[in-house]
Amino acid sequence: MNSVNDSTETESIARLSVTSLTVRYGDLVAVRDVTLAFPDGRITALVGPSGCGKSSFLHSLNRLTDLIPGCRVTGGIRLFDGTDIAHPRADVLALRRRIGIVFQRPNPFPQSIRRNFEIPLREHGWHRRDIPDKMETVLRQVGLWKEVSDRLHKSAVALSGGQQQRLCLARALALDPEVILFDEPCSALDPIASGVVEDLIHSLRDRLTVAIVTHNLAQARRIADHVAVFWHRDGAGQLIESGPAGRVLAAPSDPDAMSYLGGMRG
Amino acid sequence: MSFSADSSTRTATRSGWADRAFGFAGGAAAFLTAGLFGWIVWDLIRLGWPHLSWSFFTGEVEDAGRQGGVGPLLISSVLILVCCLVPAVPLGVGCALWLSECVRRGSLTARLVTGGVDLLASVPSIVFGLFGMVFFCQKLGMGFSILSGGLTLAGMILPILVRTTLTALESLPADLRPAAAALGLTRTTSIVRILLPAAMPGIVVGVTLGIGRALSETAALLFTSGYSVRWPESIHDSGRALSVHIYDLALNVANGGPMASSTALVLLALILIINAAAVMLSERWMRRRYHPEA
Repeated sequence: MNSVNDSTETESIARLSVTSLTVRYGDLVAVRDVTLAFPDGRITALVGPSGCGKSSFLHSLNRLTDLIPGCRVTGGIRLFDGTDIAHPRADVLALRRRIGIVFQRPNPFPQSIRRNFEIPLREHGWHRRDIPDKMETVLRQVGLWKEVSDRLHKSAVALSGGQQQRLCLARALALDPEVILFDEPCSALDPIASGVVEDLIHSLRDRLTVAIVTHNLAQARRIADHVAVFWHRDGAGQLIESGPAGRVLAAPSDPDAMSYLGGMRG
Repeated sequence: MSFSADSSTRTATRSGWADRAFGFAGGAAAFLTAGLFGWIVWDLIRLGWPHLSWSFFTGEVEDAGRQGGVGPLLISSVLILVCCLVPAVPLGVGCALWLSECVRRGSLTARLVTGGVDLLASVPSIVFGLFGMVFFCQKLGMGFSILSGGLTLAGMILPILVRTTLTALESLPADLRPAAAALGLTRTTSIVRILLPAAMPGIVVGVTLGIGRALSETAALLFTSGYSVRWPESIHDSGRALSVHIYDLALNVANGGPMASSTALVLLALILIINAAAVMLSERWMRRRYHPEA
């Protein structure tokens, strides 16, 4: 775990930085020329209307865009230690361990809760005897341990939506990532479950670098340290404004960002 | 107000009639189908049961099948089935995995392969038999043998296995694959540990269908595994399958009818037992490992 002890520090270093990133699907440009830094131990919210490339951008950060036929990513993505994520021969599997992701819809494997941890942990070299402790630690972190400790051998898909999403978060946390990406993690959940997950994301602050795509501006206001506003402009998604959450949300300089954040457009 | 109430009542009555007629027709069709199966089974039991005894299962064929039992044929049938499934299941599942996970859906290669598989499914079994005789028996020098017969059947049930496995894989939730990739799992781990177990119920259905098809096949075996009624000593021996024996008794042996029914009853029971065992074993294994109860 990387922790920034001095959380009062105003400008922390970038854990992940993106330069001139463009994501294309065939001829379609999903997002063009984005340069953005994700400060270490901070929560960066990516906001903007639908179809402005936020999710494509997020998925390119741990090369999940590789799975989509015809998708091409150009530009630079670097981790703090210099690891070049965008490099064609980058070790994508090791990279995805360092940069975890939680999707919009909870997607536990249709197996037992225990197997949901065993499969990824075994893959990344954990010894079988160390897995139960790790599993308990992360399940406690997401507040799920008390609810599932007596049914670890039961199916993960039998859990409620909110429990499944917390399980997916725990599963991502089990691999000790440095960065964790959230792709609208609350939009498929009811308000109560959504609140629980939001609090969990907030609790990751300082320990992990978080990037979260959200349509919920109130949520961005509550948890984000930094905000990046995306907008569809000139036939492609673009980053139109970014900076500390307080400033961007209160007084954006871009007119589209201003009307979107003011609730007038988007 | 009264008009609309009237018309809705009338519609309700009319649709009530339609519903009842449809329910009746559906029920009749279901009973007819089940009745047909029941009739066949009843007929087999009526004609075949009197000759069944322990020695029928263990004894050799005597007097061209009018006397004795089907012991060697039972063994031959099971051996043919093994020779068929051992290559067919990995090939079929592998082909489906490749189609679903390794090539883009709708690409030329995928369309060519699925087209080939579908074409294979439409080839009559007698043609498979001729092919098996030329290719396995003669060209590869396996002669009339259990192995030749099994391999010929393997080609025949391949399309069933590919299609059912492919359908099972394609109907899995689409977000399983990104979920696996996002955790840094290799494609192999994702397939072996996540996708295949999730698709297993569908694969088992395919295998049971294949078993049924293979055990009941006659035409393809006539030219490949032969007629020999001796106890097979190895898979290189010729061996008569139960289905071939039924065909022979019914057509070539005078007064072979009752014994044909007995053999058919044994074959039916064998298929049911093997299928039940396959489903039970896979369910137990899956439950313990992959599909725990809620």
